[in-house]
Amino acid sequence: MIELIDVVKKYRIGVHEVIALNGVSLSVRDGEFVAIMGPSGSGKSTLLHLIGCLDKPTSGKVLIDGLDTSKLSDRELTELRRDKIGFVFQQYYLIPTLTALENVELPMVFKGISKEKRRSRAEELLELVGLKGKKDRKPNELSGGEQQRVAIARALANEPSILLCDEPTGNLDTKSGKVVMEIIKRLNVEEGVTVVLVTHDPSLKVYADRVIGIRDGRIVNAD
Amino acid sequence: MLIELALRNLARTKVRSTLAIIGIIIGVMAISSIGIFGESLKAVILENFKDVANEVIITPNYVHGYTSIDARTVKKIESIPFAELVIPVKSESALVECKEKKTYATVYGMDVRKTKELFELEKGTYKGCLVGSKIAEFFKLRVGSRITIAGREFRVSGIIKEGARFDINPNYAVILPLRDFDRIFSEEYSMIIVKVESIDKIEAFKEAVNKIVNRKESKVSVFEMKIIIERIKRVFEKVTLFLMAIAGVSLLVAGISILNIMLMSTIERTKEIGLMRAIGAYRETILKLFLTEALILGLIGSVVGGALSLLGGYSIDMLILKTAKYAFTPSSILYVLIGITFGILTALISAMYPAWKASKLEPIEALRYE
Repeated sequence: MIELIDVVKKYRIGVHEVIALNGVSLSVRDGEFVAIMGPSGSGKSTLLHLIGCLDKPTSGKVLIDGLDTSKLSDRELTELRRDKIGFVFQQYYLIPTLTALENVELPMVFKGISKEKRRSRAEELLELVGLKGKKDRKPNELSGGEQQRVAIARALANEPSILLCDEPTGNLDTKSGKVVMEIIKRLNVEEGVTVVLVTHDPSLKVYADRVIGIRDGRIVNAD
Repeated sequence: MLIELALRNLARTKVRSTLAIIGIIIGVMAISSIGIFGESLKAVILENFKDVANEVIITPNYVHGYTSIDARTVKKIESIPFAELVIPVKSESALVECKEKKTYATVYGMDVRKTKELFELEKGTYKGCLVGSKIAEFFKLRVGSRITIAGREFRVSGIIKEGARFDINPNYAVILPLRDFDRIFSEEYSMIIVKVESIDKIEAFKEAVNKIVNRKESKVSVFEMKIIIERIKRVFEKVTLFLMAIAGVSLLVAGISILNIMLMSTIERTKEIGLMRAIGAYRETILKLFLTEALILGLIGSVVGGALSLLGGYSIDMLILKTAKYAFTPSSILYVLIGITFGILTALISAMYPAWKASKLEPIEALRYE
């Protein structure tokens, strides 16, 4: 369960103060697939970063499974991200020196899982995203769609309950984007993973249980 | 995995990593080679004194009013078990003449049988009057020449080889058998040269002297040659340290180059660091990753540099000392280890700031970094 209560996020760029989020409240139930849609600069990525504990709100509260993230230390936030949240970014952010398999293993390395366990888990995950045969390839030997599928596998490494996707299809062609979205949807349906998807692509609406519109840092149509 | 990741990160910038390693190699090589050379230099110098290391010189305690040592004291000292060889010496300054020339010289009187323990002869035999090489040169003396010492004539039986001692300067000495000395002068002993069984018995010997001779009054003072040798050793250790410090500058430069490449690396890898923090790496994990990279650079550079420094030490020894017999001693290994330690430490210390900086990155800012 994700809850945002009157969240405000301000940035300071030079002398100017920018209000990225201006009193946002929303909640996402376990197992729900929510799409947050809005034009660029609307604050949707900021919202996702706050849910993902990558950033802290200026005021208001972000609760993950009832836990107030503003009260957690850096170490606790790190553990929360590691254990409960999976990230999928538009730019994939794979480590270029590591193979697909090793990239998937990385969150498990940080968690201190034994080599054999994480290896077999990573192999399972790569099979899940249809990249079993490419586990030893480096990111630059994979297509964009394949890299994003590795990123999804990596996001799932520590069996998170929440998957946060920031424009996951933004750098992909329609066909690869569809493959990626279908994997995400399947995880939601079959594994019960809560998905929060941020996008400005209206065609992705079909995958969501609920669409939340955001504009100028405010929710405009929560249906 | 962290080590694996560190290795691959270094492999990513092969040229840069190689240059950093070369820097460390040069630094470690400079330090260790110079260390080995310093140690060899010390060993070469001390080699000249190895015969006197177990010698002790007993002199009258002038401070307490004693100006000579009597025969009873000599007997007592001879009775001390650790004394391997006891050479009581009398001395007096006297006018020495030969033909038209004259000079003042220190004339020593000692047991002829024991003189060979102290001096080597260039010519002649020990039985009779011995003269130092400079005296022989001054008077143009040969074995069999006649010289007058304090009015009495003697035949030169031997010429002492040029050399150096702390107690008697052999080059300017005139040495007479005790019997002859006593005929001219009426002196008591001015010093006793004692060779102690071994260096580690010197303390026991000193204690025995204090117990037997100095019990009531402090009649004699005991001076160990070991002290002079220790001082020489210490001076050379300082010289070595100083030279190593100069060589250390090259390691400092290597350290700065590591600092530089690590800083570049943190900047280039900002997004990666952000990603790792986002997916569950602690700050310490990032810190450890960067330190591991530096450690690998330091380790490779130091071990290679350490190995090469044996070659370096050998070369410097051959070039300056013309001998490499001290280049591969246990103390050389010590200097290699010192070099390696400093190499590794330099790499780690240099990486501390970049590693700390990387670990302090906020995940979201790092991810957004362009």
